[in-house]
Amino acid sequence: MSARDPDDLLRDGGGEIGDLYRRLPRYEPPRRLDRAVLNEAARAVHSGKPPRRQRWIIGVGSAAGLVLAAGLAWRIGHEPMTENEVVAPTAAPRVVPVQPLDESSRRKHEAPTRDAAAAPASEAVPPAAAQPQAAGAASEPTQTKPMRRQRAESRPAPPPMQSEAPPPAAAPPPTAFPADEREQAKDADKSQRADAGIVTQAPGAAAAEKRAATSNAFGRASPTLPSSSVELQRDMQLAPSQWLAHVRDLMQQGRRQQATESLRLFVRTHPDRRVPDDLRELLE
Amino acid sequence: MGSDQTDEELMLAYAGGDLLAFETLYRRHRGTLYRFLMRTLRHRADADELFQDTWSRLIAARERYRPEAKFTTFLLQIAHNLVVDRFRRLKPQASDEETEAVLRNLDAPESDQPERALTEFEQRRRLQIALEELPEEQRVAFLLRIESGLGLDEIGEITGAGRETVKSRLRYALARIRARFAS
Repeated sequence: MSARDPDDLLRDGGGEIGDLYRRLPRYEPPRRLDRAVLNEAARAVHSGKPPRRQRWIIGVGSAAGLVLAAGLAWRIGHEPMTENEVVAPTAAPRVVPVQPLDESSRRKHEAPTRDAAAAPASEAVPPAAAQPQAAGAASEPTQTKPMRRQRAESRPAPPPMQSEAPPPAAAPPPTAFPADEREQAKDADKSQRADAGIVTQAPGAAAAEKRAATSNAFGRASPTLPSSSVELQRDMQLAPSQWLAHVRDLMQQGRRQQATESLRLFVRTHPDRRVPDDLRELLE
Repeated sequence: MGSDQTDEELMLAYAGGDLLAFETLYRRHRGTLYRFLMRTLRHRADADELFQDTWSRLIAARERYRPEAKFTTFLLQIAHNLVVDRFRRLKPQASDEETEAVLRNLDAPESDQPERALTEFEQRRRLQIALEELPEEQRVAFLLRIESGLGLDEIGEITGAGRETVKSRLRYALARIRARFAS
């Protein structure tokens, strides 16, 4: 062997060692591999879909996201509610008679009716940031008072309606319910009101409430958001370097599961990219 | 079909749905890729698995391929990433196996005989043993150079190492191979 410098290897053909190397047995892939690869290439072209493995990884990612979301919702659903938790702001109601009431029933429902009629208008005046959106819906906010959500078993009845509204600083915080629980509570409320034959909400108001609920729920829950196919799809839009930086961010936030899912998808999406050493452990 | 087209053109054609372009591309690179994997991993079953996986990933990523990247580099980078992952996973158990294989080879009767003029068979055998004994990074650099014909910069791009590092790996690889021939 006369080769003494890598330059020998860098010559055309790799010099003497290159010649010797080419005399080694020339392994070829077996036919079954040829068939498998060509079939996969054909399937990919004809189906126009990503190959099975990639769909599988997205499917698993989605399923994992759903499981986490369900777990999170279940957990939040079992947390005791604090006094400060209130319903989301709603817009002005309109009165819709549903069924006639006799005198006793009317008297029995009179107070709740007034409360119910007044409450949504005041709820539509959330403190601080939520105020502008609700301004149109609540035409006379100064004549109402925010009403706390009734939690039937543990809460006292709502205070009687007062003619003066508290200052905005005294208003309850925008929301502390996760979206789904608030939806359930809202449904319960709705049915209560319907039973009483009194109040229902305008569609626009419901939409406003939903928007507020969504934004508030995300605002609180963002640090523990479950991974989902939506987030993974969003990751796919990132440039490779940004994507890796995002995975690192997830790690720093303690969201290791999501970081792993995201990195696995990264490897599938950019198979030619090198995974940095500090992230490789996620793949093991 | 497509024999006068470059690899990059063929890859783009395949991304556009031309299956014959892929077949041409596959024929051109199947042997090189397989030998790279076979000599790097040293086990046929592993080489088979990663060979298929490499092409699968290439197929999956076909729409993201940009001709700025040389096709060979693109393909070998995928393969190299898979190899690195495999080594990381197998490292503890591979080292025992490796040690035993090296010891077996060292104990082979031919190597005990002091032959000045090595037969061609012996030369090939020694080269094969020397390749197996090389540390992973040196072996990969050597194979990318000799088997795939890549330059220092391309090897660096694939392995994530700098030009000088690649050169140094090749130098060490060469020294070890020479040592094997001198023994």
